Amino acid sequence: MSMPLLEVKDLTVTLSRQDRQIMALDNVSFSIKPGEVLGIVGESGAGKSITGAAIINLLVPPLRRTSGIITLAGERLDTLSPRALRSVRGGRIGFVFQDPMTSLNPVITIGRQLIDTIRTHLRLGRDQARRKAIDWLDRVGLPNPDLTLDRYPHQLSGGMRQRVVIALALCADPVLLIADEPTTALDVSVQAHILQLLRDLHRESGTSMLLITHDLGVIAKMADTVAVFYAGRVAEISPVKELFTRPRHPYTEGLIRATPALTAAGEIQLNPIAGAMPGLGALPNGCGFNPRCPKAQDDCRTIVPPLTQQDLSAFACFHPLERSLVQ
Amino acid sequence: MKKAPDILVLDEVSKVYHGQQGMLERLRGGPSSDTRAVSNVSLVIRHGETVGLVGESGCGKSTLARLVSGLIKPTSGSINFRSVALPGHPPRLQMIFQDPFSSLNGRWKIADAIAEPIVVHKLRKGRAAIRARVDELLNLVGLSSADGEKYPQEFSGGQRQRICIARALAGEPEFLILDEPTSALDVSVQAQILNLLRDLQKNLNLTSLFITHNLPVVRIMADRIGVMYLGELVEEAACEELFVNPRHPYTRMLIDAAPNMDVDDRSLHPIMGELPSPASPPQGCRFSSRCPFVKNLCRAEAPPKRRTEKGGMFRCHFEPDLTQMPSIADKKGAAQHA
Repeated sequence: MSMPLLEVKDLTVTLSRQDRQIMALDNVSFSIKPGEVLGIVGESGAGKSITGAAIINLLVPPLRRTSGIITLAGERLDTLSPRALRSVRGGRIGFVFQDPMTSLNPVITIGRQLIDTIRTHLRLGRDQARRKAIDWLDRVGLPNPDLTLDRYPHQLSGGMRQRVVIALALCADPVLLIADEPTTALDVSVQAHILQLLRDLHRESGTSMLLITHDLGVIAKMADTVAVFYAGRVAEISPVKELFTRPRHPYTEGLIRATPALTAAGEIQLNPIAGAMPGLGALPNGCGFNPRCPKAQDDCRTIVPPLTQQDLSAFACFHPLERSLVQ
Repeated sequence: MKKAPDILVLDEVSKVYHGQQGMLERLRGGPSSDTRAVSNVSLVIRHGETVGLVGESGCGKSTLARLVSGLIKPTSGSINFRSVALPGHPPRLQMIFQDPFSSLNGRWKIADAIAEPIVVHKLRKGRAAIRARVDELLNLVGLSSADGEKYPQEFSGGQRQRICIARALAGEPEFLILDEPTSALDVSVQAQILNLLRDLQKNLNLTSLFITHNLPVVRIMADRIGVMYLGELVEEAACEELFVNPRHPYTRMLIDAAPNMDVDDRSLHPIMGELPSPASPPQGCRFSSRCPFVKNLCRAEAPPKRRTEKGGMFRCHFEPDLTQMPSIADKKGAAQHA
């Protein structure tokens, strides 16, 4: 068993609201092996994006990390000085956000943003950095890289912009890429391009990836291992094939069965999960999913189930499912 | 089956937005910046039928919804409504929008918001009768009568969308336009709303136009589906026929492009190139810049509308064998087309 590249242990993030401390993330633990793609999936408010931001301390008050140990290749990130952390961001950890327009500076050319990033993190001269920037624009599939260098973000289409953001995230040769809903703002036909690109680059460079999405289809195609989040907690962590064929947590199964599948023929039956995810600070006692869970019993309503490893999966449930889903 | 009467007939409807040219461009005599948001769309919707419209952003599906609803006027072509209940009158029409947060007034109680169409259309007389109808509608969409006294802020996104549906039904519409009604919702809640809409369709025999970019959703909801690309209706067919046997290359590629939940086949199928700007679509066939079957003719002439033996329509010069799809270009090849 190789050492994990990134290890997150008991990460807790709270939201201060007047006199109350609300748990936004509650004791979240997971790890990513070198070269692995970990997918985080969940509905809005589940804490997916907060997790990504908390790893490199990009949380904005009133959100605050109150506990948790974060280790990247043996080095503690949670105790680093802000200055040291800044060199990790964009250096050893690259970031791709949902909306490419907000991650690019609209008044600076693509080339300058790339060259500045490269020179901040790698010891390269101006000309070398420029060549590396052109090389990256070519690798992410932008036509005429040397001309694109002098363009501004608004002169590119949404898909092209996201390609630039990916180049920016990877140009300093990071060991980990955090991609937070990288294709959600894009059209279906463009989404597939960006996913293909992320997959190709991941295979070429061996970079590990934390892929945050609400889309189970994206998870099925991209992830090696999947962490399902619900109401600020990890509900289940499983290898991707295991997750879709033999989900253990009732919420995982509910999510899969509620997603309309294009491949299903004939009379298509949708199985929604009753109710809605509780808001922050309105979490019920015990398991957060218990008011919506068909298998909930008394213990679920009083005790928070711990994450338990069994076979290939880890799940936070007292009454895990045993059946297989037919695909 | 007896053929149901036509409710809505669109005949060669177009909408052109005239772009504002800057003074310099006018002096330079540059090309006018007109955008054909909707281009020669013909479509018939029959009584009791749900017609789905799918396409990516900029394809004109929302513009078409606004044309049908009368919010904007077409530049050319005609839109004809024929009411079944009241011959000679336009049918009552209601709309459900994507964002349930911006389509409800935060200062209105839920009961007042739902009562408004009843009052406007004089569908019930007297306060008690109106209130009774509001309660009935709240129950119909899975809410309780007590919820009528609350304000929109007190509800989640899914519940708000239920309120919007109740309000739309309050006007007793003969025709319903749903513009991305579940796109802002989470998966588990989306399934609830889709099931609710499907029950209502069946029980109330609603006629509707269902607009979405989500193919699995439209497959669940629609009887017939129209696929739009850059303002044009490129294919139209019965729901299952469209998915099982698509005729237009774009339809085939759109179906393949969305990642499904099959973990055994992890291949991705992007459509080569990027969506051209609707303001400057390619010459000839609008899909020619991305079509793997493209020939010279496609770049020169707009394709004719072809009828299929099953009553569908597609716009293509050829009848490509879509089971023999060429493999999708890799990232470099794809970019060169962009």
